[in-house]
Amino acid sequence: MADKRSDLKKSIMDTKTLPTLPSVIRKLNSLSDNEKSSVQEMAKIVSSDQVLSARILRLANSPSYGFYRVSTITNAMILLGVNVVKSLAIASSIFAAMEKDNVCLWEHSLGVGVAANLIARKLGLPECEEIATAGLLHDIGKVIIRIKCSTAENDILGLIHTRQIYTLEAEREVIDTDHAEVGAWLSKSWFLPEKLGEPIAFHHDVAKSENYRTKTAVVHIADVLIKASGFGNSGDNFVPPIQQIAWDTLQLNEQLLAELVEEIEDKLIEVKTFCLEMMSD
Amino acid sequence: MQKIPLSSVTSDMILARDIFRGNMPVGMPVCNKGTQLTDDLIKRLENLDILSVYVEGCPVQEEGNNSLDIHLRELDGRFIKTFREPLNAILYNTYKAYLIRSMGGNSGRQTE
Repeated sequence: MADKRSDLKKSIMDTKTLPTLPSVIRKLNSLSDNEKSSVQEMAKIVSSDQVLSARILRLANSPSYGFYRVSTITNAMILLGVNVVKSLAIASSIFAAMEKDNVCLWEHSLGVGVAANLIARKLGLPECEEIATAGLLHDIGKVIIRIKCSTAENDILGLIHTRQIYTLEAEREVIDTDHAEVGAWLSKSWFLPEKLGEPIAFHHDVAKSENYRTKTAVVHIADVLIKASGFGNSGDNFVPPIQQIAWDTLQLNEQLLAELVEEIEDKLIEVKTFCLEMMSD
Repeated sequence: MQKIPLSSVTSDMILARDIFRGNMPVGMPVCNKGTQLTDDLIKRLENLDILSVYVEGCPVQEEGNNSLDIHLRELDGRFIKTFREPLNAILYNTYKAYLIRSMGGNSGRQTE
């Protein structure tokens, strides 16, 4: 069991074996570390890869952000921030594999992105776009498990079906780790900023999130809400327990929750349309 | 509110959502919510390739069973592990109330 875990970890930390990380992102990483580099410079680098740009723009125009008219990479960087564009560049490379053959997980991810954005706005939190991105990427570990060990994935799905347990429990049983941890390894190996990495790593265990607990709590609640609405599918069909610490961190109450449910359900209709369009492309 | 294909829309129904050109939220608005549909209007929507619309209440009985019942049963299924947790119970009740409200309520029998 422990072997599987360390094997998987090794193969994820070794970026070479992962789905190709476009060279653009490496350049972007080094540029965004440098405080003197300008948005124009970074946009130019991204724009040099046309397929990647198209993918980023498509995600930037998704209901998760609600701008709809992001037509250039420079615009996307100004509206969404460099961190988000960088993460979208990474996400779109991974999601490219997922869009066609795992529509349900893709819908779930987009739904959580939308819900996270709505929650963050409702509570007046800063950096809504980053929170939405963390929501969009929160289950990235599942995609990696699927790519890296497809036989294990079948076992996991089988276990969920026969024993009616959560995906998380099934994953721990089969590969001795779970998608949250895999997601955390991935965000380290791809230098995703901590504010995205933490919600990905701890969206099932908010208490462990120390530096960005509010963001993690939003993603946790967004995940639960989307599971409750039954939109998309992320493996199992069970609503996970809402963690008290997340509820308290965000100071939620019944009234707020009722308003959020209404707003999210309203927006999910758009998400559905967006997914259908992506499928038909 | 119920989403129905344009083919089952009849002239007395009332729109529950705005209609946009190309079924896109960014498209040009075609018709406001609250509008009472007429035969002319339905024909025009057909010409604009609008496939489905949202109408008030729950005018079309879906096959087999009442759709609200199905939705509520699915909701129960999703909450089967956690409905006893106090916070999840709040969420469950919120969703149940939302479904009943949005789907016409009273098991689909709409009071006029």
